[in-house]
Amino acid sequence: MMREVRGNILWIVLPAMLAMTLLLVACGGGGDRGEEAVPEGGEVLTGGEGDPDAEEVVFWIPSIFNEVDTESITGIVESFNEENPDIRVTMVRVPGDETDTAKLMTAVRGGVGPDVYLLDRFTVAQRAADGVLQDLGGFMEEGLADQYLEFAWSEVMFDGRPYALPFDTDVRALFYRKDLLEEAGVDPAELDPGNGLITIERLNEIAARVDETDNSGAYTRMGMVPWIDQGWHYTWGFVYGGEFFDPQSCEVTPTHPGVVEGFRFMYDWAEEKDPARVQAFVDTYVPPDNPPSQHPLITGRVAMMVGVDAFISLIDRYAPDLDYGITYIPVPEEGQEPATWSGGWALVIPEGAEQPEAAYRFMEYMAGEEGQRVYVRETQHLPTLERLLDEDEIYAESHIFLKELLPISNNRPPLPVGAQYWDELTAAQEAVTLNRQHPEAALESVANRVQPRLEQFCPLEVG
Amino acid sequence: MSASEYVPARSGLAKRFRLNLSRKERRNLLLGLAFISPWIFGFLAFMVYPIYVSLRLSFSRYSGFGEPIWIGLENYRTLLGDGLFWQSLYNTLYYTALAVPMGVVASMIIALAMNQPVREVSIYRTILYLPSVLPIFALAFIFVWLMNPRYGLLNFILVQLGLPSINWLGDPAWAKFSIVLLAQLGAGQVALIYLAGLRAIPRDLYDAAKLDGAGVWRQFWHITLPLMTPVILYSVILGLTLGLQVFVQAYIMTEGGPNNSTLFYVYYLYQNGFQYSQMGYASAMAWVLFVISLILAMLVFRWSRRWVHYELS
Repeated sequence: MMREVRGNILWIVLPAMLAMTLLLVACGGGGDRGEEAVPEGGEVLTGGEGDPDAEEVVFWIPSIFNEVDTESITGIVESFNEENPDIRVTMVRVPGDETDTAKLMTAVRGGVGPDVYLLDRFTVAQRAADGVLQDLGGFMEEGLADQYLEFAWSEVMFDGRPYALPFDTDVRALFYRKDLLEEAGVDPAELDPGNGLITIERLNEIAARVDETDNSGAYTRMGMVPWIDQGWHYTWGFVYGGEFFDPQSCEVTPTHPGVVEGFRFMYDWAEEKDPARVQAFVDTYVPPDNPPSQHPLITGRVAMMVGVDAFISLIDRYAPDLDYGITYIPVPEEGQEPATWSGGWALVIPEGAEQPEAAYRFMEYMAGEEGQRVYVRETQHLPTLERLLDEDEIYAESHIFLKELLPISNNRPPLPVGAQYWDELTAAQEAVTLNRQHPEAALESVANRVQPRLEQFCPLEVG
Repeated sequence: MSASEYVPARSGLAKRFRLNLSRKERRNLLLGLAFISPWIFGFLAFMVYPIYVSLRLSFSRYSGFGEPIWIGLENYRTLLGDGLFWQSLYNTLYYTALAVPMGVVASMIIALAMNQPVREVSIYRTILYLPSVLPIFALAFIFVWLMNPRYGLLNFILVQLGLPSINWLGDPAWAKFSIVLLAQLGAGQVALIYLAGLRAIPRDLYDAAKLDGAGVWRQFWHITLPLMTPVILYSVILGLTLGLQVFVQAYIMTEGGPNNSTLFYVYYLYQNGFQYSQMGYASAMAWVLFVISLILAMLVFRWSRRWVHYELS
């Protein structure tokens, strides 16, 4: 009798345990759309709750966006939701930056990705090559490409197909603190864009006059550190006339003489000021995750820096009384034309998106006239829609002359190894600014590391 | 009592590969399997299967999407010529070689302090254990401030002592060591295990030693330390495994810099897998790390025969 009962228990327990196991596993992958929209570490900024009958579009933006930009985009999403009651866009901030899209990749792979993602445009080709993005050709109306700036459109193309809608762009320029220059005995009028461009040699002289040290020899203020904020490899490379890619031979060209010159400029600068002391200065006043209100230009630790035009909106928010000006990035030789470069972001639909049609309608709005106009006015980025360049009333006064630089502005080659190329150039720049490697050697290793990975895509049709 | 006594005489599992169990034994086996079925299922689905897939991917080119392309040993060949692979391996071994022994010493000191026969010891235990409760990620953010070259507490102390200040995280010569220092804030975790080990040492050994005139130092050297060796071995193996996987600190504080001096192995693996979409290459890196960990663990076990004492007698 006893034995029979225990036998029965076994046959009840065994299937029950198995069923529970399967149930637990199934629950892990399930859940409704509302929860899926918010991954771990994600934060809903707008949308979320609302009309249950509306189609829900989940839109992720990476956390690298500053508060001013994020608020503006949130506003754009809210206006879209108001004007389109049949669609509800839920905007979620997820961890990520320009080249780190791990959250997107793992979510898409796991089948819980968003419908729309805001991606740094110069990496669109790379993500398209990876197979993460949907080809948007089917959604696009005839002639759409012609409405956007040519370079911006070339960045959304891979292998002859469009994978994104361009959102914003920008230009890089020299920001300078008039009060700090005056204190150092430099007339800030010299830097006024109305008075033309200054040379890099002159920049060196002005910067040296601002430098201050304490008793121990540590810098407490510097005229400039050429590689903070937007003073990148691409910045100085373009300033010295460098080219980063040769479409004919399908080769990355980090050892192009202009790029090497740009790196040489940073190397010499560091050498003259003592690389370890400059590094200590940067680590003190520009620590990781430094908030914009503690930006060294705002706190007066540096008098000049290369920044992106949208920095104007951060000054407006965090230091509205700052006594500053904006001018062209200095040039190597007198009489040269100014040089700068432009980037920007783009909206994409990842593979596996549940609502691609509704997602595209939202993208058309955000990357269209309505969205871009708001974004330019509120954040002082530049639009990628050509016709908005003529609407002077949406630009801050100081922004207008920078807008005129767009036609001559450079852009990074949109390569399917773009993110890695950027990171390798950044590593080389670090080696050079620490004077650990000479520009030629550092850049040669960039070529050696990136080229083999590019080769699998050659020949390459860029743009 | 030895383990063999538990094996039913009739099973003959190893010899015949065929179960010959009584009804009771079979029922017990099934019941046991039923009870651990959630674990079995999880183990197969979330451990065995991914490990198998990563091995296959290590012989492929795979972006994480689409179909993997079989390329044989290509990923492993590329690894050998990849300077950053060697650099990251060096950084990781450097970190492990310093962090593990320092961790043993730090944990031992904390455990001895926690073991003092004073009334308020529970307060001390809480304080010493507290940093281990914080997520490493929060500690990393705090450390960035403690290590600020100008305003940080560490440099303040150095300057007060008349020493030159150090750019802890910004100087390639110091950055790795700074992360080793940070790791010691987690010593409380291991110290708890050490504390349990210390409490398990019979008091009469100390009493006997005292009668023979042994001082505190001799007691520690000849009783405490030898009897703690099994626990130390455990913590060394654990530290080795975790040390080779160091990631978060570099990800948050230095992004692998300056000049790749904190580019740790798993961080470089992460970059390849998730930033550059080279899942195949990243899988190959994971397997190489697995083999290295295995070899190191085996060497430690072999070496431990010389210094670990399992028996009291």
